[in-house]
Amino acid sequence: MDCYDLCASMKKRASYIIIAFILFNYTNAKAQMNFSKDSLGIYSDTVFVTANKSERQVKNISVPISMISGKSIVQAGNTRLADVLREQTGITMTSGFGAGVQLQGLNPDYTIILIDGEPLIGRTAGVLDLNRIAVGNIKKIEIVKGPSSSLYGSEAMAGVINIITDKKNADALAANIRYGSYNTKDGNVSITKRLNKLKAQTFYNYYSTDGFSVRPNSNNRFITPISRSTFTQNIQYKLTDKTSIDGSIRYNTENIKSIIAVANNGTTIYSNGNENNNDLNGSIVVNHRFSDKIKTKLNSYYTQFESKQDLLTVSGNPYNDLFQQNFKRIEDQTEWKINSSLNSIVGFGWITEKVNSSRYDNIDSAKTNNIQYAFNQWEWNNGKKWVANAGFRYDKNQNFASAFSPKFSILYKANTQLRFKLSAGRGFKAPDFRQLYLNFTNAAAGSYSVFGAVEAQKVINRLMDLGQIGNLFSNFYQLKKLEPEYATGIHVSAEWEPNSNNEIQVQFFRNDINNLIDVQQVGNYISGSQIYSYLNIKNAFTTGFEIETKQKFTKGWTSAVGYQFLITGDKDQIASINNGTVYTKNENGTSRLLRLNDYVGLPNTSKHRLQAKLNYENTKGFYANIRAIYRSKWAVANTNGNEVYDNGDQFGNGYLTVNFSMGKPIKKGWAVQAGIDNINNYMDGLNLPNLAGRTFYMTLKYSTQK
Amino acid sequence: MKKAIGKCLVVVMTSIFLFSCSKSTTTVVAPLTATTVNDLPADTIVGITPQGQPFGAGKFTFYSLEKNAIVANTDSASTKWDLAFNGTKILTNSGNSGSGLGGAFIQIGLFDELKTISSDSVFKTDNGPSSYAVTFGSGRGWYTYDPIKNLVTPLAGRVLVVRTASGKYAKVEIIAYYKGGATLAATAPDAEKITKQRYYTFRYIFQPNGTKNF
Repeated sequence: MDCYDLCASMKKRASYIIIAFILFNYTNAKAQMNFSKDSLGIYSDTVFVTANKSERQVKNISVPISMISGKSIVQAGNTRLADVLREQTGITMTSGFGAGVQLQGLNPDYTIILIDGEPLIGRTAGVLDLNRIAVGNIKKIEIVKGPSSSLYGSEAMAGVINIITDKKNADALAANIRYGSYNTKDGNVSITKRLNKLKAQTFYNYYSTDGFSVRPNSNNRFITPISRSTFTQNIQYKLTDKTSIDGSIRYNTENIKSIIAVANNGTTIYSNGNENNNDLNGSIVVNHRFSDKIKTKLNSYYTQFESKQDLLTVSGNPYNDLFQQNFKRIEDQTEWKINSSLNSIVGFGWITEKVNSSRYDNIDSAKTNNIQYAFNQWEWNNGKKWVANAGFRYDKNQNFASAFSPKFSILYKANTQLRFKLSAGRGFKAPDFRQLYLNFTNAAAGSYSVFGAVEAQKVINRLMDLGQIGNLFSNFYQLKKLEPEYATGIHVSAEWEPNSNNEIQVQFFRNDINNLIDVQQVGNYISGSQIYSYLNIKNAFTTGFEIETKQKFTKGWTSAVGYQFLITGDKDQIASINNGTVYTKNENGTSRLLRLNDYVGLPNTSKHRLQAKLNYENTKGFYANIRAIYRSKWAVANTNGNEVYDNGDQFGNGYLTVNFSMGKPIKKGWAVQAGIDNINNYMDGLNLPNLAGRTFYMTLKYSTQK
Repeated sequence: MKKAIGKCLVVVMTSIFLFSCSKSTTTVVAPLTATTVNDLPADTIVGITPQGQPFGAGKFTFYSLEKNAIVANTDSASTKWDLAFNGTKILTNSGNSGSGLGGAFIQIGLFDELKTISSDSVFKTDNGPSSYAVTFGSGRGWYTYDPIKNLVTPLAGRVLVVRTASGKYAKVEIIAYYKGGATLAATAPDAEKITKQRYYTFRYIFQPNGTKNF
């Protein structure tokens, strides 16, 4: 980023901050309760907002949820959201385009990530890099599993991850600095100030690392030198008892330096790369209570993401890539408490999205999409054994087919120890701009091209007129307006709390995904190079179960174990295998028929995942914990001459990592923490580029609150 | 029940007949066995262009399935060869590639299970550069090329059904495109991917009696 850009963006930042300062707010003090209890707390009064888009007690929520407390994040010594989620049941972090989240076997594209209820944008190849999100000011993370498009629209197909920031109620100052292996520095400052009806909070995080390398003198560092800064400002103002205004702004910038090796038909060209990503989110929310029965929330939200990549090859050839996206939304949500057991939420909104990218036909021609939507949810809670929810959302899209997303869920409290939940819903993911508009030819590797579905026929026909097309496949003629991808999910769970020291939760899930958009070869150039585009062609499923248990022992010891069993598959591939039309290679290179038991399902999915945590905490505030995470093998590439993933393909090896941390308060608000991540120093540069080797760190903290 | 007994009888009778038959004949036809050709060079890499493209000397390697031997390049205009190899391109001695009676098509299926070439099969002939009997290009003929990993992998379940220069029939399965008879690992160094490529390992059965049965 040169000076001009820097100054411009600083100015832009400043103006947003001023806007944020002008508009104010107040938050519901009830929500500011203590969330330090690191427990499923199935009967607790803890408030959970994500499941109903409105505050509900955990014990009355009828869909599968999990919650990560701020305290457990702090005690684990996690600094980025990716580190936190990696340790949760049913979640796998994927590598490639940053650290993405795979929820119950579904790709990162299908989980919506929210900060205080507002969606984050800026995905690369469908992946939202969760290393972008600092967790220094988080009160808790709420996770809803299963399709939730009935409230959240596109992307909420596998579930919702909502990061709730810590909006402290009293004046506070907290700061910490951390230093660790690979010259990794992390610092946080947060300030909360109250003045009568006004409350202002500021949070700043700085993170930088030199990266690390398995081969000390190699150009290919696993984590490249990165620096990130995140700035958050929140202002709340209580106008009257009935009306409040809340303004928030968050700005995150990251700079990644790397030496990238590009292989071109066998010759490796090294390039010095510089990648700069910025994202900005701002929201203004007006809450108004008309009466005890009716309240409304008017919410305007703006977010933008910009990613700039500059590469300079050793021979001096530049390569520049620019991606800019913005998202504007205005939404109103009204909640009506009809009587003591019936409640209804009605909402509607308008979204405008815009993308400019040098990977599309022309950087100056913005691609836009407009979405209008409405949702309605009914909740019935008789205050005794049953809670039921039914709702739907309808999204009308300008660029692709409309989506209807219903959801139904029910909770039955058998007795004070045992509860059952059943939920079924439909989620969708809109085709993204890349799938609609990409116009990319990789000159560095084989000159293949990928064209988005909207442009593909036009572009290819033009190339045809120029005599550059060798041949076209039959699926070229099937290219048409893309439809959203759909998932239907069914979740059944049982939660049992036999006594106050034990909890166990078992959950079965099944997600059927239709209309999956896949990149397909549609033809060849005269030169033989491939031409790809996107089609709605695949049908897949993910199914399995999760078990989570928590135990409390004597003298401050607690433990938690989580396990996920996962089976995935492409339905069309399974049909082909059953029809005997899929072949594979024997070890000697000859072919044979592929059997269903050779089939491994979707790539990047592991059958087994296990998390175990042992924690000790005494009354003086000293704590120590050890966390183990195991993931079984997963398919990474198709290498044996067929298009399905089977036992003969390339796999990432199953692996275990163990993390340890401990800390204690010193005095007068000071505390220290030290830890080791990846004690066993497991590394796999090829398949797990984001997993650093053994890392030591130490943190010094200060807080005016205890 | 009656029917079943009848069927049984037919089976028993037939097997007795066959048994006696095979006993009485003395001309036992030896089953055809597959021949494996290892590391047949196909215009191997001799240099790299300044743009980074590896290149070979531009020559085809001519092969006779009938004789199981390489045919000299000086005989390229003859009917001595059946297949010619250059990189991923495979020619048949047909059309504008040669004066022979050759031809080929690619059948999806297993090498061992191809016992008879069905009578309605159409053998294609070469009409380069626009079309070849053994279809040229990634994912279209016998291989797939991954530009990211820079690897050529033979497709599983593809049999090259070949008509030789003399008009007889053979079936061929390509096993590997890299020296050593196995596709390199995706993780192999780039240098190895360059130097070891363009070496064919394949197995084939040639039917010398002119029939379409193997």
